Amino acid sequence: MDFEPRYTQEQEEFRQEVREWLKDNVSPDISHPADSAKSGPEQYDLRRDLGRRLGSKGWLWATAPEEYGGGGLSLDHAVVLEEEVDSYGLTIPPYYDSGGRLGGASIMVWGSEEQKQEFLPKIFRGEVRTWQLLTEPEAGSDVASVKTRAERNGDEYVINGQKVFVGSDLGCDYMWTLTCTDNEAPRHQNLGWFMIPADLPGITVQPMDLLIAGGESGAGSGVKNTVYFDNVRVPAFNLVGGENEGWKVATTHLELEHGSGGRIGRNWMVDNLFDYCRKTNRRGEPLTKDPDVRDRLIDIYMEAEVARLFNLRNYWMRHSKTNLTYEGPQASYFRKMSGLRMSTAILDILGPSALTHDETWGAGNGHMESHQRSAIVAIHPGGTADIQKVIMARRIGIGREVRERAGALA
Amino acid sequence: MDLALTPEQEMLKSAVRGFIQQEYPKNVLLEMAESGDAVPSEPWQKLVETGWMGILIPQEFGGEGGSFTDAGVMFEELGRGPVPGPHISSSVLSAFAIMAGGSDVQKREWLPAIARGERLLVPAVTEADYSWHPEDVHAVARSNGSGVQVDGVKVYVFDATFATHLLCAVRSENGNDVGLVMVPADSPGVSVRPLEGFGWNLAEVRLENVSVDPSNVLGGSIAGGWSALIQGIGNTIPILCAYQVGACQAVYEMSVEYSRTRVQFGTPIGRFQRVQDHIINLVNQLDAARWTTYETLWKMDAGREATDSIHLAKAVGSTAYHEACNFAHEVHAGVGSMTEYGLTLHTAASRTLYHYLGEPRVHKRLLADTLGL
Repeated sequence: MDFEPRYTQEQEEFRQEVREWLKDNVSPDISHPADSAKSGPEQYDLRRDLGRRLGSKGWLWATAPEEYGGGGLSLDHAVVLEEEVDSYGLTIPPYYDSGGRLGGASIMVWGSEEQKQEFLPKIFRGEVRTWQLLTEPEAGSDVASVKTRAERNGDEYVINGQKVFVGSDLGCDYMWTLTCTDNEAPRHQNLGWFMIPADLPGITVQPMDLLIAGGESGAGSGVKNTVYFDNVRVPAFNLVGGENEGWKVATTHLELEHGSGGRIGRNWMVDNLFDYCRKTNRRGEPLTKDPDVRDRLIDIYMEAEVARLFNLRNYWMRHSKTNLTYEGPQASYFRKMSGLRMSTAILDILGPSALTHDETWGAGNGHMESHQRSAIVAIHPGGTADIQKVIMARRIGIGREVRERAGALA
Repeated sequence: MDLALTPEQEMLKSAVRGFIQQEYPKNVLLEMAESGDAVPSEPWQKLVETGWMGILIPQEFGGEGGSFTDAGVMFEELGRGPVPGPHISSSVLSAFAIMAGGSDVQKREWLPAIARGERLLVPAVTEADYSWHPEDVHAVARSNGSGVQVDGVKVYVFDATFATHLLCAVRSENGNDVGLVMVPADSPGVSVRPLEGFGWNLAEVRLENVSVDPSNVLGGSIAGGWSALIQGIGNTIPILCAYQVGACQAVYEMSVEYSRTRVQFGTPIGRFQRVQDHIINLVNQLDAARWTTYETLWKMDAGREATDSIHLAKAVGSTAYHEACNFAHEVHAGVGSMTEYGLTLHTAASRTLYHYLGEPRVHKRLLADTLGL
């Protein structure tokens, strides 16, 4: 076993190259507000610019095939890249791009050659930002019951419906959208996925008013929107996987969204909290010397370590093409619930300074306050904590008569 | 990065699994638990003959010189039983203590004998003031003419009933040092009394006017013995954790199987989300134990600083085994409490391994210290 990437001489040279390159290409103006809603268009432009630069080097989707605009690099190269970008507090891509991550992977598995040529290079080179559109007012956990209708009309489909909890602030270029392609067909045989250009007539985006715009993508999304489709005409070419074949595409999409992609790197919130407790005195002593606080901090640390290892395991399983069963939803479930427990511990240790982002009286530059909100919101994206457990049970082989298989991941 | 076992480790895993299935079926384990006669026994003798007890002992001292991960793979399979006997206590903990603090002569005398299973050297550390701190060691080693005289009462000693020799933590005559003395279990003045109840192979060890040869003092002096024990414990915890991982895995598989086959209200109980919750909690505990353990084993093999991981693995792993058994009992209900079913073998083991080499609470505190909190 080896829990660290094995770096060859060539990869160490690659790390040096990446470091040098990031030094020259990561703008010093990129900042990290606690609540991504406070991150304005300037920050977004800086991040998109970095994304394009990474993309042109093949470093945005390092392991994706070169013929589609990826880097064609090894897993260990990708790890080097993620580690180096992580040291700037950034992710790859450095902005919210759920549709690129999940739609790109789905097209890799289910798209036609022409569709791959059309969509993947734009995504992999960072030329476009893509949102995913699944949830509807009446289709949350039961995502297969979406009602947004896509009806064939000549060489086009006409799309009508409403999606919620969509995307981010500042718009997107493509909408990776799950629709119903047949009102009469049985469940799971009536769906279709479309890559929809966001500038088509009939699309309206309206921000939602939420506790906080959480997400599992790693990059703050700023806000979430309601998206209305009113007789939107989409070329039939943009239907991925075929009419009424959307559920099989969804299995790939959902597999990744449920945590099977894995993740490397640690939870910086734990470091921030340790740091805060070392520097904050109560009764003349640092909080870290209070036995109750130490106990709480260690509980948090242990859960964060387990979450890190689950993510690392999934990352390795995905990239080594090891057969996954329940591991994706397990990581997602554990992350959600340990995050919620962490927010309780933070409130317990910090008291009311965890409840304000006031510049003078809020703890940790507002990061503690935003965590109090985002830990709650994080329970639902990518499938609720309960849904993760339902999927785990099916994969373990106790939830249904036939044991469910994991979705294909290219 | 590669989280797979090597082909050699996979072969070892399946060899050990086959051996355990053959030699330690449930009825044998139940009989051993009932009689307390796990050692000596025919399965134990065969286990010793495989040479696996020497897996961590260097080749120059008659062992196999395997890696921590090799040993973890092997002990994970023993944990599935759970196979009783002084495999961890003697061939891992005592062996490491001797490697850390023994003289060359002692290493040459003791390690090959431990590897061959001829000597079962079981650590006897804790006393009436139960803890794993040297301050709570009150047993004394006094000079006695040409020999050393040991007096004291060791309590809650794991595996003592199987011992041919006891590795006793003792205080020096002047009270300043705590070290280790190897005491033949058949010496006059040594008595071992099993502690009945829910413990797993726990015993009281009385040492009254016990004379031992000075060559049996580890490293030739009481001073330094305790640090050898602490080093031994640090090296043993990841192996103990691997044993717990195998145990959790067995408990998990047992529970999944039961929830698939037990029918109530006309359906397998695994279809009920209430029951699924227990299975999911169980597998989360299992995997938390598995990956904290194997990362620690890897760190040991790679020569990385592993102190934080060792405390993390013990705190997570012992909690996991304990909780895994609790969830399994929720799945199994009445059937789980029937001795003949076999779950209670694990439940009993999980309770004793919870405290063995320090409770999760202790290791959480040590982890906080290690992280500089």
